[in-house]
Amino acid sequence: MTLAETIDLFRSTDPDTRLYLLLDYSDRLPPLPTELEALRDAGMGRVHECATPVFLYPRIETEGGEQRVHLHADVPRESPTVRGLVSLLAETLDGAAPAEVAAVPDNLLDELGIAGQLGQRRQQGFAGVLLSLKLAVAGAAG
Amino acid sequence: MRVATARGPRGRTYLAPRRDTPMADYSNPEVLVSTDWVSQHVHDTDNVRIVESNEDLLLYATGHLHNAVHVDWVNDLQDSTVRDYVGAKEFARLCSERGIRPDTTVVFYGDKSNWWACYAFWTFKLFGHRDCRIMDGGRARWEADGRVFTPDIPRFPSTDYEAHEPDTRIRALRDDVFRHLERGGPLVDVRSPQEFIGEVTHMPGYPQEGALRGGHIPGAVNVPWRRAANADGTFKSRQELEAIYLDEQGLRSGADTIAYCRIGERSSHTWFVLTYLLGFDKVRNYDGSWTEWGNLVGAPIEKGEPEEPG
Repeated sequence: MTLAETIDLFRSTDPDTRLYLLLDYSDRLPPLPTELEALRDAGMGRVHECATPVFLYPRIETEGGEQRVHLHADVPRESPTVRGLVSLLAETLDGAAPAEVAAVPDNLLDELGIAGQLGQRRQQGFAGVLLSLKLAVAGAAG
Repeated sequence: MRVATARGPRGRTYLAPRRDTPMADYSNPEVLVSTDWVSQHVHDTDNVRIVESNEDLLLYATGHLHNAVHVDWVNDLQDSTVRDYVGAKEFARLCSERGIRPDTTVVFYGDKSNWWACYAFWTFKLFGHRDCRIMDGGRARWEADGRVFTPDIPRFPSTDYEAHEPDTRIRALRDDVFRHLERGGPLVDVRSPQEFIGEVTHMPGYPQEGALRGGHIPGAVNVPWRRAANADGTFKSRQELEAIYLDEQGLRSGADTIAYCRIGERSSHTWFVLTYLLGFDKVRNYDGSWTEWGNLVGAPIEKGEPEEPG
């Protein structure tokens, strides 16, 4: 599902249950590949602007002459909201062009219709995660 | 096994902690309850209300104790317009919706060594709720015990609840801290050493939280909140806590003491320890904490390691 389709899914879901969609995303986040575990344990890839431990490992591969983004990530299961949001990013941006990552709306939580339920502090934490991802992808794309 | 009981108001029988448990040594032993105690009272929904309070908004939905209701510190305890806790009316509605009466025994638990459970406990005390408890070890302990979590959301008939106006004896505002400083009153900064010292460099795991200046309130001692908890999330024994707060840090139970952190969340945990486990006479939580003090024009700031306790 693309990001646009995901936004539609959220918006078409009842506001009272919308947030719970993140639980499915949280469950679906694949475990970190073994080779990245050492980096995580050493604190590399940590997004410092988020109080929850979020670790992002984006990489860019050239496929069919085009640059494609793939994202590995790790977030504790005890933080299902954050884990769900990171999983949502990883899924919807898998195979995206770097320009698409740059174009992810900074007010994504508003677009998804869940910003109000999260509150400002949690929104700020996620803003840090999104910015971190954009900067890392822009840096790797060169 | 002899089980101690006590007869309370309305003829209810309370299970008191056995004399040989570490809980019995605390100043207020009945306030800290074990997972055993909770599992024995989980069906007593007329008299007991279990409240889960976590950092993550969705953690409760993934599974919680049977008959536990959810209180989210952001959505339920904080005013969304003004930086403050909710008012008495909102607090009363919060209780009413969860079937809590003024005489209900409310038992708090949660993630992160009961950090947010203590925050909710403090808020209930702010509004004068009489009987509040903490389930020692929180979610982690319940899970380690091999006990069951359920996703079922309980529903309770709404109740009449009249909240008291906030009890300022447990809360310090900015001007209270200035007056406290003038008197040389003890302050406990429960943040990490790096935040306390005021290192400008970004340390892994210690996100900046919108303060324009780093350091601590002058004269504060540094006791990171986590030192009060064991690895399994339970509170340390009275002996261990006294060794830290009294012997090592020189705090005195008879002194008017103020605790703070970044937004008053971690300091609720320490407030609980000092007040209910060590029996301090007067402890206030400065919830403005560093996000206020570190951004306040002209507020005095100290940097570097704390001085040796006198």
